[in-house]
Amino acid sequence: MVEDRSISGRIYAAINFTLLALIALITVLPFVHVVAGSFTTSAELAAHKFVLIPRIWSWDAYKFIFSTNTIFRAMGVSIGVTLFGTLFSMFITSLMAYGLSRRDLDGRNVINFMVVFTMLFTGGMIPTFLVVKELGLINTYASLILPSAISAFNMIILRNFFQNIPEGLEESAKIDGCSDFGILFKIVLPLSMPAIATISLFYAVTYWNTYMSAILYLDDSAKWPIQVLLRQIVVLASGMDHSSTLDGTVPPPDQTIKMAVIVVATLPILMVYPFLQKHFAKGAMLGSMKG
Amino acid sequence: MQEVTVQPGAAPPLRLGKEKRSSELKKRLWRNKWLYVMLLPGVLYFIIFKYLPMYGLIISFQNYKPYQGIFGSEWVGFEHFRRLFTEPEFFNILWNTIVLFALNIFIYFPIPIILALMLNELRGNFFKRIFQTLVYLPHFMSWVIIVSISYVMVTMDGGIINELLSYFGFEKINFLLSNGWLRPMYIIQVIWREAGWGTIIYLAAIAAVDPGLYEAARIDGAGRMRQVWHITLPTIRGVIITLFILKIGHVLDLGFEHVYLLLNSMNRQVGEIIDTYVYTAGLRQGQFSYSTAIGFFKSIIGLIMVMLVNRISKKMGEEGVY
Amino acid sequence: MKKKSFSMLLTVLLAFSLVLSACGGGEKSKGASSDPTPAPSNSKEEVSAAPEEPTEITIMLPLNTSETPPDTIKKEIEKLTNTKLTYQFFPADTYEEKLNTSFATGSLPQVTYLKNSTTFVQMKEAIKDGQFWEIGPLLSEFPNLNKLKPEILNNTKVDGKLYSLYIGRPLARQGMIYRKDWADKLGLSAPANVDELFEMAKAFTEQDPDGNGQKDTIGIVDRNELVYGAFKTVSSWFGTPNYWGTKDGQLEPEFTFEGYYDTMDFFKKVRESGYMNQDFAATSKTDAVKMFTSGKAGMYIGGSMQDIDSLHKDLIKNVPDAVLDTHSMVAGPDGSFAQWMIPGYNNIVLFPKSAVKDEAELRKILAFFDKMMTPEVSNVMYWGIEGVHYTVVDGKAKPSSEKELIEREVKGYKDSVIGEAETNGMYESYNELPGRIHAEELLLENVKVGVADPTAALDSVTYMEKGVELQQIITDATYQYMYGQIDRAGFEKAVSDWKSRGGDKIIEEFNAAAK
Repeated sequence: MVEDRSISGRIYAAINFTLLALIALITVLPFVHVVAGSFTTSAELAAHKFVLIPRIWSWDAYKFIFSTNTIFRAMGVSIGVTLFGTLFSMFITSLMAYGLSRRDLDGRNVINFMVVFTMLFTGGMIPTFLVVKELGLINTYASLILPSAISAFNMIILRNFFQNIPEGLEESAKIDGCSDFGILFKIVLPLSMPAIATISLFYAVTYWNTYMSAILYLDDSAKWPIQVLLRQIVVLASGMDHSSTLDGTVPPPDQTIKMAVIVVATLPILMVYPFLQKHFAKGAMLGSMKG
Repeated sequence: MQEVTVQPGAAPPLRLGKEKRSSELKKRLWRNKWLYVMLLPGVLYFIIFKYLPMYGLIISFQNYKPYQGIFGSEWVGFEHFRRLFTEPEFFNILWNTIVLFALNIFIYFPIPIILALMLNELRGNFFKRIFQTLVYLPHFMSWVIIVSISYVMVTMDGGIINELLSYFGFEKINFLLSNGWLRPMYIIQVIWREAGWGTIIYLAAIAAVDPGLYEAARIDGAGRMRQVWHITLPTIRGVIITLFILKIGHVLDLGFEHVYLLLNSMNRQVGEIIDTYVYTAGLRQGQFSYSTAIGFFKSIIGLIMVMLVNRISKKMGEEGVY
Repeated sequence: MKKKSFSMLLTVLLAFSLVLSACGGGEKSKGASSDPTPAPSNSKEEVSAAPEEPTEITIMLPLNTSETPPDTIKKEIEKLTNTKLTYQFFPADTYEEKLNTSFATGSLPQVTYLKNSTTFVQMKEAIKDGQFWEIGPLLSEFPNLNKLKPEILNNTKVDGKLYSLYIGRPLARQGMIYRKDWADKLGLSAPANVDELFEMAKAFTEQDPDGNGQKDTIGIVDRNELVYGAFKTVSSWFGTPNYWGTKDGQLEPEFTFEGYYDTMDFFKKVRESGYMNQDFAATSKTDAVKMFTSGKAGMYIGGSMQDIDSLHKDLIKNVPDAVLDTHSMVAGPDGSFAQWMIPGYNNIVLFPKSAVKDEAELRKILAFFDKMMTPEVSNVMYWGIEGVHYTVVDGKAKPSSEKELIEREVKGYKDSVIGEAETNGMYESYNELPGRIHAEELLLENVKVGVADPTAALDSVTYMEKGVELQQIITDATYQYMYGQIDRAGFEKAVSDWKSRGGDKIIEEFNAAAK
């Protein structure tokens, strides 16, 4: 952005900065609490309601969760599914979004409508399970990817971004002898890096959060992704399960363990964003090319 | 393509003879053959994983028993819909749902846009990136965590906010157990969790703004606010409208988990929404048909809303989602 | 560009083949083609040819621990029972979804644990329809299974026939866990009746029992649960029947009895006086427990008294010299004692006909459960491996001090042991904490004045369909009464609402079934 050195410009920037700093603080505090809680003892957590900086430091929670290989295995599954899933989804989503972004395509509106329709109507868990079963995907990692390979929402957003690319660019590429695939991969995609980064992030987060598909389609708990472990611990430790009975045999896990698992299960996906951020600046290219 | 009717293979209305038109169409179809190939995987995906299972909706009109299957269960017609509409609490539940949705649209929806514009105005890439990363953190906390953290903050039994209130001599406020505070708490939690995450898509759209335009506006003497209003906002208008239309489809579909965690006997009067009702009345009792019928009702209303808003947006010269 | 088109084509082909296979599959719903651990369809031949061959059994059950246990215990069970077991654990939280989906698609395994008695009620219709094996007539062939308590088996019967084995639980474990050190300091003894209970709550709040000079303690901590929180337990002390009671020879729901109103009045008074946590209608179990273990509350009512071990463990981290005790003999206004009882089981296990092909296979599976009901096997499943997870002291099991090892390796199997210590012969637990020893005595005392739910073995179609939804009306009204938002007339209106929306039918159906 171009610098504005006038007094009003500076005041404007200062107010903006202060407001944002305040917002950032509010959003980050509970997170700090969770991180701090994971590094202390459960007694400390019980004694002080909202710990931000632990007075007693303890690694016990992490020692506990890393003492078996379960969390590593689950993490490996999640990383693999997220990586392959995002690549696969981006590939077929881009193809579809590009096809539908071309205004001269006959029938595009029928397809567009049918896509929107699936956002509103779903057949439900049981028929979908049967489809997955008939395809022989039960107990395969593919069952975590294929049934959610395209998000209608993501496809529509991406299509919108593609639509904003000036048609003139595509026309001239066509005259230069580029095929439709050529236009997509050589012109449209490079020009849409902010959108590609955004939608990739959306897919990555969706795959990272995979829970229900894993429970329904994977009988073998060794194949479960990290979210199953995370949710199980969070639900047990929060006592939110309303159907809990008088059961004395299984006391809930420690709060510190819950927080440590949250930290461990969230950190990898949090790190994706900073890597994608740099692509947000690249969209500027579009303007310069247009001019 | 201003007025669009949903017809297979609808061609732009050309004032030509019939044969001429169909041969034009054939030519166009052939020219675009690779585009259709591109669509194929996506279309197949939607057919296999979305349209094939849709026969499951049939059970809304049946008394579905899992062991009898969809083809063996008894037909009851609109019985489940009748049960829903004659439920004494139905209109109250519907109203509660619409109110929470309205809060989502009128209070939550603009916030990520404003936040994105503010982030975009930030000088220096360093702070920009730091802030972006921080505001998007809460999205990764599940509702269970957020609601339990809120409990610790607002409970009358030693919660921080009430302790502060009584320290400064104010009456304690019963946030958790009152009809009046459920909605504010709900929307604050939604904003807290989703606002930062929601900015990402707008930031991507803003990235497409031609810097040359700002340059030109500045030379014309336009201040920062005016630049935002006349350059940035119009660029992202398309995305805003698309998101708006897609959101409106979920008018009755707020999700069950968040509200359910906030609900208790003292605020159910304003807090019971369709999704929480489905959970208690349908799913917990294994009433598959009843829950599916309610879902069907939600979808129909959503579809009507989407079609309506999409039409309006097209009338206003916007693109729409289909 | 060529390369990219090629991979594209591959994708298309792949997708095409998916579609084709989808259409080819048609409507076969019981195809085991995709099952990685198929049911032993060839078991019959194996029986005659090689009797030593271990039986393959697949078991589905809810997971109540943070992760699935490793094979340590499973291998031991396999060795002892000559089986090859596949345990499929699924998170308890979403177990119902998994159960329903598997059931509707014909993919339940041979041995299916339900989640609790609510899922059992949901399954009853399918059980009546003959989707599961009836095991009643076979039970006498298995000497150990035959020991299961007939009165509890009776509670799990559907239309008078037995389809399931039960996971036993003591009939009445609930009572109160309280701060003995506070009571001693204030010169109070355990409350003998409900008035003394109120006095104790008052003293714990007003007389600064923790001696820090601040009025920062409360008498009772409760949570957002009428049944497993304090309410139901106190209501039975007040003489309210257990869910259903008899009035003029007619079954009526508990909330039409005077004891129910007395209980609501009791909590209303306790709350208004500030002797309990003000937000109890929105307090989760974890938050309630936290309030108790941080030393802020004096009485924890309604949970299992056996919980005293874990509460004590956490409390002394914060208040090192705290002393806890258990208590349950609180007399009602008329001076008599009463405790509500559960039907004696926590969960049941079913054998789907879709997975268990014939009676021969069913017999082999029941043989496995018969072996499970021997002390050797049930001890392994409940306590773990002797010397590793527990030691035997005075003929009782004392868990090892390595709590994490037990939590990880044993706990996952604990909730699947059939029967109870009296029938399967496993060790009772060796207790050191005086409050826990007291709790075990009280458990036996409780049963002597126990009140059973008269509808436990009865069916009502309307209850199955709408019971949960209707109960919500009563639950809401109960809390609103305790919070002073509605009065007796308001509550009675809610009851008549309950009746008109289906409650009358439930009453009618239960009464018809009782005859």
